[in-house]
Amino acid sequence: MIKAVRRVPLLVPLILVMVILAVSTDTFLSTGNLENVLVAAAILAIPGVAMTFCLAMGEFDLSVGSTVSLAGVVCCTALIDGHPLPVAFVMALGAGAVIGLVNGLVITKLGVTPFIATLATLVIVRGASLAYTGGHDQIVNSAGLKYLVGGRPLGVPMPIVLAVVAAGLAWWTLNRTRFGRWVCAIGSNRDAAAMSGLPVDRIRIAVYVLVGLAGGVWGLLISSQLQKGNGQLGLGFELDAITVVVLGGTALLGGRASVIGTVLGAVMIETIRNGLNLLNTPPAYQRISVGLLLIAALALLALRRDDRGTQPNRTLAKVQETPA
Amino acid sequence: MTADTITAKPAAAGGTRFSLGRQWDTWGVTGILLILLACTPFIAPGFLAVDNAQSVLRESAYVGIVALGMTFAIASGAFDLSVGGQLALTSVVSLMAFGAGGTGAAIAAAVATGIACGLVNAALITGLRVPPFVATLGTLFVFRGVAYLLTQDGPKILPYDQIGSPFARMGSLNVVGLPLPFVIMVAVFGAGWVLLRRTATGRRTLAYGSSPSAARFCGISDTRTRVFVFGLVGLTVGIAALTYITRVWTADGSAQDGFELKVIAAVVLGGTSLKGGKATLIGTFSAVFLVSVLNEVLVSRGVESAYQRIVLGCVLIVALTIDGLRTRFAAPGSFRRSLTRLVPTR
Repeated sequence: MIKAVRRVPLLVPLILVMVILAVSTDTFLSTGNLENVLVAAAILAIPGVAMTFCLAMGEFDLSVGSTVSLAGVVCCTALIDGHPLPVAFVMALGAGAVIGLVNGLVITKLGVTPFIATLATLVIVRGASLAYTGGHDQIVNSAGLKYLVGGRPLGVPMPIVLAVVAAGLAWWTLNRTRFGRWVCAIGSNRDAAAMSGLPVDRIRIAVYVLVGLAGGVWGLLISSQLQKGNGQLGLGFELDAITVVVLGGTALLGGRASVIGTVLGAVMIETIRNGLNLLNTPPAYQRISVGLLLIAALALLALRRDDRGTQPNRTLAKVQETPA
Repeated sequence: MTADTITAKPAAAGGTRFSLGRQWDTWGVTGILLILLACTPFIAPGFLAVDNAQSVLRESAYVGIVALGMTFAIASGAFDLSVGGQLALTSVVSLMAFGAGGTGAAIAAAVATGIACGLVNAALITGLRVPPFVATLGTLFVFRGVAYLLTQDGPKILPYDQIGSPFARMGSLNVVGLPLPFVIMVAVFGAGWVLLRRTATGRRTLAYGSSPSAARFCGISDTRTRVFVFGLVGLTVGIAALTYITRVWTADGSAQDGFELKVIAAVVLGGTSLKGGKATLIGTFSAVFLVSVLNEVLVSRGVESAYQRIVLGCVLIVALTIDGLRTRFAAPGSFRRSLTRLVPTR
């Protein structure tokens, strides 16, 4: 038990919050409400799981929010143009993958820092999806698209199925495959990884493509919920995705990853949002609480780091090395 | 390698020998800005008309003022992602103070709130040992959230009967033809230059950015560096908020969404390295205007705002690519460069 808490420090506060909500509201524990929370968490966990790879590598992808918008827009316009559903899905996921590929190439081949490169694609892709739609909503009414969020294979809501599959695959990849170990190796020391002969550039590109694809899936889910796509979807989503991963305990500086933590992070955020809604608090408190949560989680991690001793010496890590 | 070659090389790189790369670091963006300005009469007639030029200077000032603070932060090896939230909160508090106590109270409230926000960040980073990126990401939510709370019953607005007051006109005032916000920005950059290049604090900040552990061994305090840098960012936000609210006369929690990215983009475009230890104030200054002039030119050419974003994003990538490629081609000298970076002078 103690080991589990050490691994995933989020477990304790999550249980605490759930108990508080169960006591203070009579609706939180209803099946319908719990399902809402889990569906929302599942939708957030899917990009979170992909972002876990990115942070495990010690890098960020800020462009995910714009990818959500573009993927939604591409899918909806394709449907409006009369393309069949699978074609629309492939086009949307393809758009996400292309954005990821561009990110990866700009970062590895042109040597632009990930933070800035993906900041630039964030702006560019948002512009592209606004330009693509001329700023209008692309409204669709497609039973197939609706199935992505509303469907219930074997009685389980579709997003939960997707999230479980995604998390399972990600866990297996990170913990049981060469690729996963490579990602963490790059995260703990990129130069050492390169000198050991790892195809560092190719791995990094692959991770960005993965995040782009996940952004595409996210976009499909969101436009499935809303039955529309437009240039305003997904504003600020990139911070949600990163917050989830950081809450889950994946080291911000790379080298360590926790897929289970990410999933719990998503559950935590959505539980709090849901709880604050049930308690009728103004939306402002939701922002404040997410911010405080983020800080608290990292402060806890920092305390835990103290008894571990040293830190890998990397650009972002510089600032929090413990004195020798 | 003998001891004297090690000491000789930093001296050579310290300024005696002309290096195109180093000149590009400092003046590159300024050059591009001047070329763009020289072209404007042909591509956007009317751009240099007094009204238009004044409005560009006025609009850019509050981004520029915060960019000065952010240059210090990035040079010390940290981001401050919370400046958007700080700006919203500071503007709201300042407008409330104006309603309660007039001009003096508004100015004091803006500066005090800004600095307080900065100190909160510094406390989280040094006290709780949260990495700056996440600490300020968290406080971005928190500051904005508080600003939303304070404006639950509608945005704070300057009272109508005060629109003629000196405070309300501050943002649109001209001093010898130059907008007051721009004059303030120039003054802030002047003070920033003195602070960075002529005081021990400035050198400590750069040294800390180059290598925090080396700086620590030289007796530079983590806490003091953090408090100085984040306090300075807060102070610049306070000043920027004053130029902002005296122009738009209103603020709420959503004021200037995405502000932090604008500011960071300007600093990075200007040539300040994300790796820390290196700052160029003239670069930041020019980059702020490069972005706004480019924007203005695109607007006057009738380019849709969607395409403007695409162009700006591409400019950012191209600028950073040049920087990335230059460092890559300079690889044989990279060892020397890493030695010279230990010397905080340029």
